[in-house]
Amino acid sequence: MKAYIKGIGNISPQQTWGYNNFLDPPLEYHRNDLMAVEPDYSQWINPQQLRRMSRVIKMGVTSALMALKDAELEKPDAIITGTGYGCVQDTTSFLTKITDFNEQALNPTPFIQSTHNTIGSQIALLLQCHGYNQTYVHGAFSFEHALLDALMSLQENSAQSILVGGVDELTQISHAIHTRFDKYRREVKSTLTLFDAAEAGTVAGEGAAYFVLSGKDDTQTKACIHAVDTLFQPVQETLLAWIESFVRDRINIPFEDIDLVLLGKSGDEKADKQIDLMAKTYFPGASLGVYKHLCGEHSVSSSFALALATEILLSQHIPEPVIHKAVSRPIRNVLIYNPYFYQHHSLIFLTECHDIK
Amino acid sequence: MADLKVQIIEALNLKHLKPEDIGDDQPLFVEGLGLDSIDALELIVLLQQKHNTKIANAQDGPTIFKSVRTMAQYIQDHKSS
Repeated sequence: MKAYIKGIGNISPQQTWGYNNFLDPPLEYHRNDLMAVEPDYSQWINPQQLRRMSRVIKMGVTSALMALKDAELEKPDAIITGTGYGCVQDTTSFLTKITDFNEQALNPTPFIQSTHNTIGSQIALLLQCHGYNQTYVHGAFSFEHALLDALMSLQENSAQSILVGGVDELTQISHAIHTRFDKYRREVKSTLTLFDAAEAGTVAGEGAAYFVLSGKDDTQTKACIHAVDTLFQPVQETLLAWIESFVRDRINIPFEDIDLVLLGKSGDEKADKQIDLMAKTYFPGASLGVYKHLCGEHSVSSSFALALATEILLSQHIPEPVIHKAVSRPIRNVLIYNPYFYQHHSLIFLTECHDIK
Repeated sequence: MADLKVQIIEALNLKHLKPEDIGDDQPLFVEGLGLDSIDALELIVLLQQKHNTKIANAQDGPTIFKSVRTMAQYIQDHKSS
């Protein structure tokens, strides 16, 4: 099962579009809610269509258009989206108005756009793409399951090119609810030193990252995705056995051949200790990278990690703010380990353009 | 009518327009402002939420929403009812 990445569009709390040097300099935040750096949407979407789109739809549609432009592709055969919360701002607005106006006179636009699959459908409408269109709303596995669907579709030859992405927005309400569950740090001195302090909690984030995938390798290929897997709420022993089995049986390479592991450390002391221990046990010779201090914790942060891993494979350079431990060796095989609040765990394995070395 | 134009711009998110860009008698739909059926629903809601005015007969819609002036006239005539 292989999928070749042909194009990427990534809107995140970092300058991940229209940059000269990737993550150089990185954007530093002194708060616990990291909002995306948004482009001028009117450069990408017709103003008449733009006026009805909420922020998450604009982010999703624009990152999809960026990915298509990067891949020099006009229209994909299929569009697959993963989103944990969908158009949560429109949903909030719709529900608030139900109570505000006593179930009378409800605005149609937030209602129409409050469904989770609005992003995928807006992309299809804009591209006039009548192919397979699917949205996965599987919590923090949403992007992984979208990716899995794309990989299987390519394997079955039911599509030649697939636009697959992860989108989630951070809203005042969603941030407030998570804050009540003590998910986020109360004070953040600097996101760039998030891992220095031994504290509980993380920082919230948001983003939209779309990828154009194809089953064929050519000069346009940026990286190759080999496998993706997920595991929900395991005990520590099961988690370690699952990681071991993924490397040994699924991707079938020696542990020492993995050159870089992108670790989804979030700044939460308890979870990060376990992640560090796992990395030390299984990947003592590999470079280690971190990314959640850059994009924040959100349901589809693995899509940010996939874009980051691709960039590293292409440039053979690990940006300074990503380095957790650097080992001087070529980067051919990258493993992304993305835990979400240490409940949802996912692994994505990708390599440079061609077969595993 | 100036206030109504501000409300229309806000309700329909017509950020590229200023109140003075909308003529009092300019058609709101198709060849005028280019509004569509979802906008018509938003305008009905605007009348209810901001002016406490309901449209009793849906067939009157095209006449009421012909222009800002016809909308203002309808609000004026029906506000107390």
